[in-house]
Formats: sequence, structure tokens, C-alpha cells
Amino acid sequence: MAVVSLEKISKRYTGASGHLAVDNVDLNIADGEFMVLLGPSGCGKSTTLRMIAGLESITSGVLSIDGRVMNNVAAKDRDIAMVFQSYALYPHMSVEENLGFGLRRRKIDNAEIKRRVKATAELLGLADLLQRKPHALSGGQRQRVALGRAMVREPTVFLFDEPLSNLDAALRVNTRNELIKQHHRLRSTMIYVTHDQVEAMTMGTRICVMNGGRVAQIGAPLDVYWNPADTFVARFLGSPPMNLFNTQIASAAGGHLAENAFLRAPLMRWQSGTLQGMAGKAAIFGVRAEDLHLESDAVPGQKHGSIKGRAFAVEPLGAETLLLVETEPGVECTARLSRHLKVRPGDEVELVFPTEAAFLFDSGSGRAVGSDRS
Amino acid sequence: MITTSLPRLFSRGTLAAIIGLYTFYTLAPFVWLATMSVRTTGEISLDHYAWPKPFHWGQFRSAWIDSDFATYFWNSTIVVTSAVVVVTLIGAAAAHCLARFRFAGNRLIYGILFSSIIFPPQITLISLYQILVDYNLYDNLFGLTLVYISLQLPLTVYLLEGFFARIPQDLFDAAKIDGYGDIEIFWRIVLPVGMPAIATTLILNFIQLWNEFLFAVVLITDPSKRTLPIGIRGFMGDHFQDIGLIATGVMISVIPVIVVYMFFSEKLIRGMTAGAIK
Repeated sequence: MAVVSLEKISKRYTGASGHLAVDNVDLNIADGEFMVLLGPSGCGKSTTLRMIAGLESITSGVLSIDGRVMNNVAAKDRDIAMVFQSYALYPHMSVEENLGFGLRRRKIDNAEIKRRVKATAELLGLADLLQRKPHALSGGQRQRVALGRAMVREPTVFLFDEPLSNLDAALRVNTRNELIKQHHRLRSTMIYVTHDQVEAMTMGTRICVMNGGRVAQIGAPLDVYWNPADTFVARFLGSPPMNLFNTQIASAAGGHLAENAFLRAPLMRWQSGTLQGMAGKAAIFGVRAEDLHLESDAVPGQKHGSIKGRAFAVEPLGAETLLLVETEPGVECTARLSRHLKVRPGDEVELVFPTEAAFLFDSGSGRAVGSDRS
Repeated sequence: MITTSLPRLFSRGTLAAIIGLYTFYTLAPFVWLATMSVRTTGEISLDHYAWPKPFHWGQFRSAWIDSDFATYFWNSTIVVTSAVVVVTLIGAAAAHCLARFRFAGNRLIYGILFSSIIFPPQITLISLYQILVDYNLYDNLFGLTLVYISLQLPLTVYLLEGFFARIPQDLFDAAKIDGYGDIEIFWRIVLPVGMPAIATTLILNFIQLWNEFLFAVVLITDPSKRTLPIGIRGFMGDHFQDIGLIATGVMISVIPVIVVYMFFSEKLIRGMTAGAIK
């Protein structure tokens, strides 16, 4: 178990491009925490993980594990284990040899290696596969061997680099649950890289959303989901992504409004004082797809905002239906509605949402305007 | 309508006929040679293609003992085996470095190695001769071994580099995290994983060097240091050629090639058909 600390960590690749892959990342991962690094391809999350692993040099900043500076410590001496996206099983070795490979290097007694390999194999349901070579295993079995190879070492920190990406959907859910179970059992510090928000939301104690090499936001999954720091996080977390619209802030009798040609939203989550300076100025207004309802389904008497447009696609998903609405040419809005939806493409619709479902972002920086009320 | 006529053209029967014809084309000279190896030169002169009657197995004995065939055979074995072992080890290590490590001049070195494959070996013959004379390695089996190593190294590095570059980086990273250093990773990961490609180069190098004539005939003069191709040539006089004994000698010289091929053939085929390593 270990505390992992990244202080102003940067990575600039040498060479003609001099690409800055990771830029001033500050991150503290508590003992036993399951931290998920989440972001799109090329955001620097894997590079950050590889720097923690010691597979990538650190250009600047300090990396420490349990207070010990690790910048120049070799990967093998960091007491970490890593599970790779490709599993990285040694193809010429049996499952048993793969599991014991790291232990043999550490001059551990043969009987102890056998005991640990056997225990890990039994825990992960690999006991019958010990003599098989990786090519004779299914994707899920390979994944478990990769996990077992990390577990058998009993490291202080586990690193996962998109370990579920190569699995099919059903197996991914199973393995995800298996990982959560193992985390509860081992109580080890785990750092997990993914671009899949569902994995991040379901597995992480906290998530660290990265964009363009920088940390966009760190927090508990639901906290990040409901209080996104900027428009990037707001769009990246959530499927379908949050609807964002360019609006103007206007003063009205009952408070402030965000409005444009097709949208009108009372801003009840913010106190008047907060919005005073924004009156008459542009702002980005956001609302999540699941907070939108058809006007006919609105709760009578409740204050709500509204969006008008023309439905152009209806996507039934079984349990629910996605309604895609064009509010004005080039501007779209997605609503997650009941599976009994009667709307047809081409229909004019009015979508409503409760005032507490509103998000507001600065139109220049994209930063969230923090709400004063829940 | 090529797409529809091709399958018809290459139906099973046609393919079998083509393969059969090709097998006959390549195998017939070998069978002919095999029959001649147990016939005397006199018998061969009477009828080139006749079936041996009787089988003169004694020819193998006289080729091995009465002539210096055993000496030639062991000379070849020592020179070729040591050259192939060294070429394989150095070639694999160099290919691993070129494929895996980024360093200044990596592609330059690779380019130079590659360019040396393009030139015909005859170009280097005179300079190599002079170098061997200067270093007292002329007419010396060790000198010939060094020449063989230098001849086969570029192609070996070139072939192995291509294969090693396709070994996923994750394997190396996993081994590093498991606690292994660069040299151990080479021994424990690169060599076993790259075995199909290594077996391929090993067979190619062995066959190439086992049959090598040009450098051996120029760089070796002492009859006791002759390798097999030069030794067999010794049976050819200006006015008389002992065809029977030559055929027997060639048959003996082919045996190690067949043994090496049989031993590594499975890996050779895997090496030649290897796609991405999963």
C-alpha cells in the first residue's frame, strides 16, 4: 500500500517536434485509493502512467511513492506492477511461468513462488490453465493471467493501462466487476487509465480527467459528473454528452435568465450577485440529456427552462429513446426520453428541464460558473 | 472476368499437377545424383541415367577414408558452424538494438548494413584477401570464418531487425517491471520470441556458407584446410573427372544441410509465415 504523489510533472519528448505530452500535472493518490486517469486519446494519461511506472523519463517535476522520490529509480525498483492493454504475456512461457517470471527475478524461494502462483491462480480461476501457453487462452483468460501476474508480486501500487479495451462488451463488464472485487480485497493503491467513462464512473474512488496533457478536474466520479469544471469535462463525461448552447444572460423580474432564439432558462442555481456582472454578456448554457423532457410531460406549476426545435432523428435503445432535435441550423440537442416516445422525425417539439439541471460556463475560458445553490 | 476464371484455373487438380511437376523438377536432379553416388564412374559413362546395379556403397567409404573427404567435411563443419553461431548471436543482438533502442545514427547504421547487402560479394574479395594477408590470416580457417561472419552479418541483421521490430513494446516494458535488465530481456524474451526468425536466418546462413566456393577457393590454398566445395572440386582433373566419387562427395556434403533443415524446418516455416505476434 502506498501514497503516490505527482508534483508539477511534465513530459516533453525530445526530437524535432518537442511535443509536450504532459504539462504540470499535480496529483495526490491516497493509500488504497482507486484513481482513474480519464481522457481522450493523446491527452497524456498513458504517458503519466508510464512515468509513474518508470517506463518513461520525467522531464520536470517530482514523483514520489510513500515520500520517496522516484524520478530516477528504475522501474524494477519501484515495487509496482502493471497490467497492459495488450496483456503483454510472454508468448513462449506457460501461464505458470508467466505468473512466476517476476518472482524468479527477485530470488524468491522456489516453494514460495509455487505457493503464490497457485494461490493467485486459484483466486482468479486459472488453476486448470497453468500449463497452457497464452495463445491457447481466450481474451478473458489472458486478461486474468495479466492481472494475476501483477497480483502475485504483491506490489505496493497497481497500474492499469486500458486493460479492458480488447475485451468484448459482456466480458468487459465481468472483468470490471472482478477488478473492483480485487481492489476491495487487496486494498492496494491502484491507478487505472481509460478513455471509457463508464469504467471511470463505476470503478474509481476518484477520477482525474485529463485534456491536452493537463489535469482538467479531479474528484469523486459523481461529483465530477454533476459539477464539471469546464465544458470539456461536461462534454466528456456523460453519454450522450451534455448539450451546450451559446446564450446571453439577461436580467428579469424573478432573477436572471440564459436565453437565445430557441432556449429560455431561469438561472435559479446562482444567486443574483454572482450573475450581476454577467448580465448582457454571452455565456455557455448546459443541460444533460437525461434532464430533458417533452413539454407535455412537464410537472405542472414547477419552474422550468425550455428548448424549442424540430426533431430530426429518433433512436430507440430499448430501455429508453434518444431524441435528436435541431434547434437552429447546425445546432443540435439530444434528449434521453421514455421508450414510449411518440415523436416522429420532422415534428416540432418543446423540451423542458428543471431549473436545477442548468449548467453555466464562461463563454471565453469554458470554465464553469460555480453555482451557489444546489 | 479474371476473378471468376482464376478459381477454376487453379482447381485442386491443376494445383496438384503444378506442385507435382515442380517437385519432380527439383527432386529429379537430386535423385539422379543419389543414384550416381552408388555407381562407379565407368558405369555412369556407359549409361548416365541407369538405376544402380549393384549398389556400390563402398564408394562412401572410399570417399570418406581414401580421399581427404573427412578432412574437408570437418573443416567445413568447424568453419560454418562457428560462423553461423557467431553471426546468429551478433546479428540478433545488433538487430535487437536497431529495432528497439532510439539512438543517434540508428538509421544510418541500418542503412550502411542494408547497402552492403546490395553489393555483389566479389567486390570485397580483393580487399578481404589483402586484409587477411596483412593480419596473417590468409590460408587460415579462422580467417575464413571471420570472412564468412562479415559476409552473412548484414543480411542476418536486416532479416531479424524486421522481425524484432514487430515484437510489441509492452513485452519489454512488462519484463522491465518484472525486474529484468536489457541483457536478460534479450536472452529471456527476444531470443525465444524471435526463434522462428532466428531459425530462418540460421538455415539460410548455414546453407549459404556450407556451399560457399568463391571465398574459400581464393583464401585457402593448403589442401588440408580445404572446405567441402573446394575438396569436391579437387576430384575434377583437367582430363578426367571421377563423376562417381564427386556424386558420392556431394551426397555426403548434403547430409548436414538436410539434418539442419529438418531440425529447424518447423520454425523456418513459422518464421516465414509469421504475422504480428499477439
